[in-house]
Amino acid sequence: MTAIDPSTLSAEVPVHRTKRPDWLGLALALALGIVVVIPLLVVAIWAFAEVWRYPSLLPQEFGFRFWQATLARPDVWAAMSLSLRLSVTVTLLSALICLPAAYAFARMDFPGRNLLFLSFLASHAFPKFGLLVAIAGIFLNLGLISTFWGVVLIQLVGTLMMMIWIPVAAFQNVDRAMEEAARDAGAGPIRVFWSVSLPQAAPTIFAAVLLSFVGTFYETEGAWLIGAPEIRTMPVLMITYINNQIVVQYGAVLSVLLWVPSFIALMFTRRLVGSGSFAKGFGV
Amino acid sequence: MTDLSSSGTGRAGGTAHSNGRGLTGLLLVSAPVALLGWLIIYPIFNAIARTLFAPTQTGTAFSLDTYGRFFSDGYALANLWLTLWVTAVCAALLLAICLPLALYLRFAKSRVAGVVQGLALFPMFVPSVILAYALIRTIGPNGGVDLVLNALGLPKINSPYLTPWGPIIGLVWDNIPLTTLMLVAGLGAVSDNAVEAARDAGARPIALLRHIILPQIGNAMLVVLSFTVLSIFSAFTLPYVLGPASPEMMGPFMQRTFSQVMDPRMAVTQAVITFAICAVFGAFYVRSIAKNREARR
Repeated sequence: MTAIDPSTLSAEVPVHRTKRPDWLGLALALALGIVVVIPLLVVAIWAFAEVWRYPSLLPQEFGFRFWQATLARPDVWAAMSLSLRLSVTVTLLSALICLPAAYAFARMDFPGRNLLFLSFLASHAFPKFGLLVAIAGIFLNLGLISTFWGVVLIQLVGTLMMMIWIPVAAFQNVDRAMEEAARDAGAGPIRVFWSVSLPQAAPTIFAAVLLSFVGTFYETEGAWLIGAPEIRTMPVLMITYINNQIVVQYGAVLSVLLWVPSFIALMFTRRLVGSGSFAKGFGV
Repeated sequence: MTDLSSSGTGRAGGTAHSNGRGLTGLLLVSAPVALLGWLIIYPIFNAIARTLFAPTQTGTAFSLDTYGRFFSDGYALANLWLTLWVTAVCAALLLAICLPLALYLRFAKSRVAGVVQGLALFPMFVPSVILAYALIRTIGPNGGVDLVLNALGLPKINSPYLTPWGPIIGLVWDNIPLTTLMLVAGLGAVSDNAVEAARDAGARPIALLRHIILPQIGNAMLVVLSFTVLSIFSAFTLPYVLGPASPEMMGPFMQRTFSQVMDPRMAVTQAVITFAICAVFGAFYVRSIAKNREARR
């Protein structure tokens, strides 16, 4: 029911040189700009403020002092390295088990295929935090609470859906004629997959992997519930900083630092997210 | 694009595959399916069973004691009400903000539309911890908004930080991208021709919305509603950081019961109660996915 006309979405918005300016659009852009950008701008200013006393509109002194102070803290480095190790482990494991499964869902016929695929999409139908509490109850008995692998498992589950349904769409969109041509030229099935199918699906799969990586890096709930108190990832550290209110700038510097991965993700995946396939994965 | 049998250049599966490939397919999907079974389906049944059967001296016996405790505890009920109230307010605000946005994005033909879409999707890439921090700095006491108001000689705002409005603002901010995307996708079903025909017949914008557009995106709006309910019932970071300490929303309440009160059975009971409340919406959501896939076949 939702055959999306891609021309309605930004990347391909047809540029009609209309005679009068799009006032409604400009008003919406301005309103969204204020609401979306200003909070982040305030944080960015805080990160570079050395002295900012109320009620001055701008900081009295700018500088990098708090960058040095934040980066000199061992807990920041420990959390950063732990977060990176977790995200790399989870993303690799997820790619290892999900990509072959996505290929199978997209291109093979096997009993229960539709039901199993639907069950992946349906895993969204439960309130996630309640599910985490239920899993935590089980992990408590298995001794996985507050361990690296406990958090890996929890975060792995979080990536399943993204790493299956986006690659499924990618494998389905591979040009069959090219595969057949390669096969006619004598290429074996593995050769066809490696040289023809995979390169065509690769950009979308890369976007899914990147989204999983960034999503895992920022995952807070699982790390907080399952990982506490031993496993302190960057977002968990950030919450402690917010709660303890030690130095305002620490949180601001961490925010700006943490922002880098999401900015990269934004650059690479905007096209995918803006396309209709993303919303369809949620059953619209 | 997530349907399995259409889209793309050809049909998946097909008759050429032998039974051997069927087995290979099952083998390839077995690892994620096993994980899904172990960490999503099993915990749900385990949670229900664990809360309904309490251990006694002679083994386990059916018991509703934790549910009784939950529903006779004024504090727990206040938390539940707060969560329901926040959910309702967020759903209303999201529809009020995202429906106009989606309508604009669906029908706009100017270059500005690309900018609007980019801004509307932007919050998707801002993790909730950073959002929480940014909101404290902006609308918290003596935050950015207060600075500007003070410079203009106006009184300070009544800060929503640590009131239910804190998480409401954060959750709405966080959910704008997905809600807008879903509504735009739903509006894809409304044909340009129908809209133009109605417009030529002299329909005013309000009539157009009521009689042509809304009836066609009813399903998308219900999916959005389900999704909002599910995501707000499972929200933790924003209510925990921005919300009031008492009463608290279900996310922080469950977390505190589990980690600080150290009462996993009670925490799991609270989780089962959120499952039960969300079940209707979850079921609707699953039915909607299944129906769409059916329709595309």
